[in-house]
Amino acid sequence: METTPVLPGDILPSELIPHSTNKAVKLGPGLRHIPPSTVKATISGTVTSDLRKNAIWIEYNGGRYIPTPSDLIIAQILRSAGEHYTVQITPHYPPALLPHLSFEGATKKTRPQLKPGDLIYARIAAAPKHADIELECFNSQTGKGEGLGPLKGGMCFDVSVGFAREVIKGRRGGVVVLEELSEKLGFEVAVGRNGRLWVEGGEGERSGGLKHVIAVGRCLQVCDEKGLDERGQRELVRQVLKGL
Amino acid sequence: MPREVELSNNERDFILGALRQGLRLDGRGQDVYRELEISFGEEYGVVDVRLGKTRIVARISCEVVAPYPDRKFDGVFVISTEFSPMASPAFEVGRQNQDEIILSRILEKAIRRSSALDTESLCIIAGSKCFSLRADIHVLDHDGNLIDTACAGLVTALQHFKRPDVEVQGEKVTIFTAREREPVPLSMLHHPLCVTFSYYDGGQIALLDATFAEEQVREGEIIVTMNRNGEVCQIAKYGGVAVDALAILSWTNMALVKVQAMTKVIQARLKEDAERRDKDGIAAELRADNDRPSERPHG
Repeated sequence: METTPVLPGDILPSELIPHSTNKAVKLGPGLRHIPPSTVKATISGTVTSDLRKNAIWIEYNGGRYIPTPSDLIIAQILRSAGEHYTVQITPHYPPALLPHLSFEGATKKTRPQLKPGDLIYARIAAAPKHADIELECFNSQTGKGEGLGPLKGGMCFDVSVGFAREVIKGRRGGVVVLEELSEKLGFEVAVGRNGRLWVEGGEGERSGGLKHVIAVGRCLQVCDEKGLDERGQRELVRQVLKGL
Repeated sequence: MPREVELSNNERDFILGALRQGLRLDGRGQDVYRELEISFGEEYGVVDVRLGKTRIVARISCEVVAPYPDRKFDGVFVISTEFSPMASPAFEVGRQNQDEIILSRILEKAIRRSSALDTESLCIIAGSKCFSLRADIHVLDHDGNLIDTACAGLVTALQHFKRPDVEVQGEKVTIFTAREREPVPLSMLHHPLCVTFSYYDGGQIALLDATFAEEQVREGEIIVTMNRNGEVCQIAKYGGVAVDALAILSWTNMALVKVQAMTKVIQARLKEDAERRDKDGIAAELRADNDRPSERPHG
């Protein structure tokens, strides 16, 4: 992985673009192909490439979340209608559809009964341009839940979309705050690419109740707002743990 | 169409559970305000107020008009509020929502009807000319407690604003630009500020300076407006669960402490700005209420 900053309109130097003989180059968000072989940036950010997948895209923190297939997101049930739930991914986007039966082991009788306002951890199954977005809470190939489904209890924290992506990458994304916190506190997290983080206190003797959930949430939000590096994050965690 | 941002059940239960244990999400105490940050624009009467993530810009402008025929000795003062869609997805241009109606009504009551601004001093010639003052409140970001922030912004802007100096000779009115004569500050009778109490569990828990999430789970709110001398200008309670009268009494006492603290911050920032503008220390000499040498020397 390599990173170089670019501005909109910049032409990407050819040494940045991965060259592979057997695979076509995949252009991700923020890049535009101008035939025959020019690639231009359409947004400012850092060029990021994945040589293994032969993909290149621009990483930037800003803007609203745009639903993309196979993203994991935290969404909120608005209502149940007929065969599906109507679900809100972000307030700026039209509601998405989640079929009643796309949960692990769900039949008409055993499907989870969700109320308006409940949170779910779901994957975007399809995001067509001119039709409703579809979600699923299981892997349609294997039928397994893979951790998706309704989120019970806990608290949801809003962060920026870029930070949510970094948290998913973990150490590679430069976020060590969760690892550091987990050495002392017991908690569960779910990261939604739509910029929402769900934190639960967990059960058992290490559970510190609401106080720990608030501490974890605050740490994440402060990291996001201040853009702390690894050292800053460690320092922050140390201070927060001292305060508990 | 953008939808009203509603809190999920998980967040609702968590916030209420935490409040019952005396915890707030941002680690504040129940009676602690976020830091009030005030900055001023280049012109007089442009104020940018922030309370945490809530951000409001207040701007005062004035022009000369004819007064209302039934109020010949009074100037005109209007307050207009605008909620920008960038503050929250629930705000739409051209459609007033509940918050906006309440905000403009409270500001009307708190500032205009409590006669914080001496509108008689805006009169130039009775029945024919007066200043028309207009206060525009722009909500740029919404993270709760809009009323307190807007009220603080408006009161600061009114204190910061200066109207052009005028001279009346018979029927002839001369209005001086800022280059000709130093503009005149408005005459204010007192400086009222709002303190909003959000309450939960029938008044058992009262929060000051609630954030947007906390506002969404509250049972009701009480808005107390008072000045630093403890004179209550208004108390408003729009619906919500009934509260104990004694609770309201103790909240008014608490409001006084907060109003005094906020007034101190506002005055300090106004003083700083005045010193910044007064570069050569000649503002005192230029003040419009000083004696002026008569127009033509005698003899």
